[in-house]
Amino acid sequence: MQIDWLTVAAQIVNFLVLVWLLQRFLYRPITDAIGRREQRIADRLNEARAARGEAEEEAETLRRRQQELEERREDILSSARDEARALRDRMEDEVRKEVEEKRAAWRDHLDAERAAFLSSLQRRAGHRILDITGRILSEYADTGISERTVATFAERLAALDPQTRDRLAEAASDAQTAMVETGAALSGAAKGRITRALREALSAEIDVEYREDDGIVIGARLTIGDVTAEWSAARYLDRLRVELDEVIDAGSHAGQSGRDHDADALDRAPA
Amino acid sequence: MEISPDAWVIYEWRGLRLTATVVFTWAVMAVLVIGCGAVTARLVDGEKVSRRQVMLEVVVTRIRDQIDDMGSGDPDRYLPFIGTLFLFIAASNLLMIVPGYQPPTGSLSTAAALAICVLIAVPLFSIGRRGLPGYLKTYIRPTPLMLPFNLISEASRTLALAIRLYGNVMSGTVIVGILISVAPFFFPVLLQLLGLITGLIQAYIFAVLAMVYIASATRERSPGQGDDAQISLKKGD
Repeated sequence: MQIDWLTVAAQIVNFLVLVWLLQRFLYRPITDAIGRREQRIADRLNEARAARGEAEEEAETLRRRQQELEERREDILSSARDEARALRDRMEDEVRKEVEEKRAAWRDHLDAERAAFLSSLQRRAGHRILDITGRILSEYADTGISERTVATFAERLAALDPQTRDRLAEAASDAQTAMVETGAALSGAAKGRITRALREALSAEIDVEYREDDGIVIGARLTIGDVTAEWSAARYLDRLRVELDEVIDAGSHAGQSGRDHDADALDRAPA
Repeated sequence: MEISPDAWVIYEWRGLRLTATVVFTWAVMAVLVIGCGAVTARLVDGEKVSRRQVMLEVVVTRIRDQIDDMGSGDPDRYLPFIGTLFLFIAASNLLMIVPGYQPPTGSLSTAAALAICVLIAVPLFSIGRRGLPGYLKTYIRPTPLMLPFNLISEASRTLALAIRLYGNVMSGTVIVGILISVAPFFFPVLLQLLGLITGLIQAYIFAVLAMVYIASATRERSPGQGDDAQISLKKGD
């Protein structure tokens, strides 16, 4: 077993050539390919990292925006709630006021009705009393009273105030006939007496007609032309009725205003 | 029985003999270069990579990682030399399965040539790394008295490498030859398998030892470090 130095030299050359060839065809391409791939992977990782960072930033922004929205929603809700509460309070106030007004109006109406009822009751009671008085008077208006009435009529004619007398005289000069209406039938003497008294009072020859009128009750009415003078219980009753109405009206008005004051005081008291 | 391809002369011209060693070396070179070139001509950078490319990438990356593990730093600098050592020896030994083939590594000439390459490469790498004065200083460390021993160490290292490779590969061939004459059937097949394994291991050990020598020469010498690596590797062998 010996070493062939020529072969050794050839093998050294062969080995060096193989080193060069493999460097050319194996190591450098493979190393370069691996390097490129690693570079690309690193690039992609960097890209992914950057994209992830971007995405996280985006997510953070979105989260913040959502939070702002939540807060704003809370604000909007609370303001809406406040508005609704204010609106409810206002409407409650309005409704309460309206109810108060209606109640006041109703109470006023009730008071007015009561007052009207009272006044009408008073009025009817007064009228009834007057009617009863009139009926009593007419029932008792017998001849005696007629006589007395004629006497009173004559006295009144005599005691006429000058103005009325002048007007009556003026009317008598125009009209030839005077009319005397009485509540009860008069006797001839009584008629004559009235005629006499009338002619004296008017200083004129005038014809006198007599007529009965139940509406007069007691007393007499003198009509010459279009001038009328009356002295009768009916007239008194009428005047009394008018005065009664006036008193009742005045009384009801006064009562009405007084009750209004009371109502105001009552309204304020419970509050 | 012909046990060395050196003795097999294929062509002779004016005293220059073309031995089987050189021819089979060329064959191995052709196989390696054509195979690698066919794959690397269609390299892909994308995610979808062919199986062959993956295989080559794994081989290259593995070799580079091994070099890096030796602690010399900058593996790409030593990758062509160490990687070629490994691939050439491995391919030479693995092609034993081809009938009629004789591994060129079974020749002492080839082993010597590879060992000489390592012998030259170690100081070259060291000089390239530290410069010529820095390299020369390593021979007189720790003291100038160590100069002869350092020189002997360099020479014996080369010799050991050569003998190691030659002995292992040749012994495989010799044992197969002996066993064929004793038990012609099953044993040779098993030993062929064993030979494939030892061939790979030889390639690995040769390359790693070369790298260890280079690393210990180029590294700033710290006491005992390189020797420890050497000892552990020898134990592994």
